Amino acid sequence: MIEVNNLRKVYNTGAAAVEALKGITLSIKQGEFVAIMGPSGSGKSTLMNVLGLLDTPTAGSYRLDNEEVSGLSKDRLAVLRNKKLGFVFQAFNLIPGLTAVKNVELPMLYAGLKPDERRRKAVAALERVGLGERLNHRPNELSGGQNQRVAIARAIVNNPAVIMADEPTGALDTRTGEEIMAIFQQLHREGATIVLVTHEPEIARHAQRILRFKDGLLISDETVENPISVAGKEVVG
Amino acid sequence: MNLKEFILVALEGVRNNKLRSFLTTLGIVIGIAAVIAVIAIGQGGQAMIISELEAFGSNIFQIYPDYKEGEYTNPRDFTKEDITIIKKLSPEVKYLAPMKFTRGEIRSAVGKKNARIIATTADYEQIRNVEILRGRFFNAEDDAVGRRVIVLDEELANEIFGSENPVGQRVMIEGRDPALVIGVIKKRESQLPGMQPDRRAYIPISFLEGGNQWQYVHVLIGSAAGKDVVYKAMERTKLILERRHNAPGHYASYSMEQEMEAVNKVTGIMRLIISCIAGISLLVGGIGVMNIMLVSVTERTREIGIRMALGAKRKDILMQFLIEAVVLCSIGGITGILLGYGGAMIVSHFLKLPPLVSWWTALGAFLFSAVIGVFFGIYPANKASKLDPIVALRRE
Repeated sequence: MIEVNNLRKVYNTGAAAVEALKGITLSIKQGEFVAIMGPSGSGKSTLMNVLGLLDTPTAGSYRLDNEEVSGLSKDRLAVLRNKKLGFVFQAFNLIPGLTAVKNVELPMLYAGLKPDERRRKAVAALERVGLGERLNHRPNELSGGQNQRVAIARAIVNNPAVIMADEPTGALDTRTGEEIMAIFQQLHREGATIVLVTHEPEIARHAQRILRFKDGLLISDETVENPISVAGKEVVG
Repeated sequence: MNLKEFILVALEGVRNNKLRSFLTTLGIVIGIAAVIAVIAIGQGGQAMIISELEAFGSNIFQIYPDYKEGEYTNPRDFTKEDITIIKKLSPEVKYLAPMKFTRGEIRSAVGKKNARIIATTADYEQIRNVEILRGRFFNAEDDAVGRRVIVLDEELANEIFGSENPVGQRVMIEGRDPALVIGVIKKRESQLPGMQPDRRAYIPISFLEGGNQWQYVHVLIGSAAGKDVVYKAMERTKLILERRHNAPGHYASYSMEQEMEAVNKVTGIMRLIISCIAGISLLVGGIGVMNIMLVSVTERTREIGIRMALGAKRKDILMQFLIEAVVLCSIGGITGILLGYGGAMIVSHFLKLPPLVSWWTALGAFLFSAVIGVFFGIYPANKASKLDPIVALRRE
């Protein structure tokens, strides 16, 4: 699903050039649930941005869903983000003025779907994350966990090839974080490919595989023997 | 995304920032309202003046002697023969009548009243489009024999005869012979405030002068055969008078067309000045919109980042903010049109003028406000669309 070869990213900050990624090679197969770990400055966020097509690499190749994506135009990248990726952020990143269902409709709005189809799919996605009763609530009327579930609904609504989750539990308490991880595990069981960035080992151990980064390099790639399972919780619709 | 969806998204943006949207559009609202109000009052006033002038009679012109300083007045500036010859020589002149004004008390058996007495000929009826209420106006035969007859306007008739029918009764004209009332005519009401004409009575000039040797006729009033020959009729009349009286440059003329041109010129200048003021106020309003849109782009950077992450293309963001600016300005424009028209109605209620806004003025104002939106929205929208999604997402 994701194949990265000798990926480099250099930031030119005035006089000094900072090399955030120093040649990363990795591959993530379809249906995998992978956690990316590392301290701040390790390059994990940069990698996430590049994998999420929000940033372009300085060198190297990146194949997403069997398509070479390095060197594509911004608008082409926007189309690919829309079709192939679903984002879940630490700060939820919902649009404050829009109701839950309108927020979930956004990716389909840019995909050009008809209003009634958007509505139907958005409602279905919200029901999947257990928010079928909160369709017309705005973000400030929902709890943190509920907001993150809206964000997950928004990430999965376009049936993306990969779900990119950047510290999705970072702004939540432990219990709520567990609930969110349960949803990810449920999505994983249903066949979704998930890339999760976290600095919390506990959270990372929900994944099948952990990639550790340090100073812009991939330092370890391990399979989790017994992932923490929170499956079966009532939160999964 | 199609235009309708962009508009819906823009309306959501406007709804989510009600106070700011209101403040943003205020400049446009005030600018457009001012323009509409002034145009409404101006056009209403102009329409009224024109209808007033047209009610005076169409294709009318007047000839009067133009005395230079130190000249003695000539009692024979206009004669009966002049009129006969002018009408014979110039087919453009359809009707031509002398007018001599005097004042006097008119007394009946019942009552009396001071009135303005207009001595003229039968042609006057056609020139001024006189509306007969009772009896008749005097005719060519009355003129020819200097018959002692009088026509009253309805107000005067009511005041000196009350409920009695004046036609066929006698009145005394102060200092003159008694006269027989042959008709009552409708008084022409003026729509202009403070311009109500005085009470009037009409008599044949041959009765006033005791024959055909008229003296001190104040003015000739005529009507041309058509709208396009008014000027020609007027000039021919003047030329004939100058030759017959051997007095070049002695006669001056005046026509309703000239009057309307003057009205149009004044309102044209007024409109130009208003347009300038409106232009400035809308420019200021537009800069206000641009200013707030820039603030809005900065404030909603994160929203822009989210939309980009979810697949919004450059064009999508550009259109969203551009259309938001256009929607804001259009809302301001519509509000301004309604407010301006309301203001004009209030003002015209007190001035007793009809407000008048043509649909194309309203449409023009609306389109203009939308154009302001495009013009002043393009820069902020372009700025928004050029944001880097990562930078935008990171913004708190």
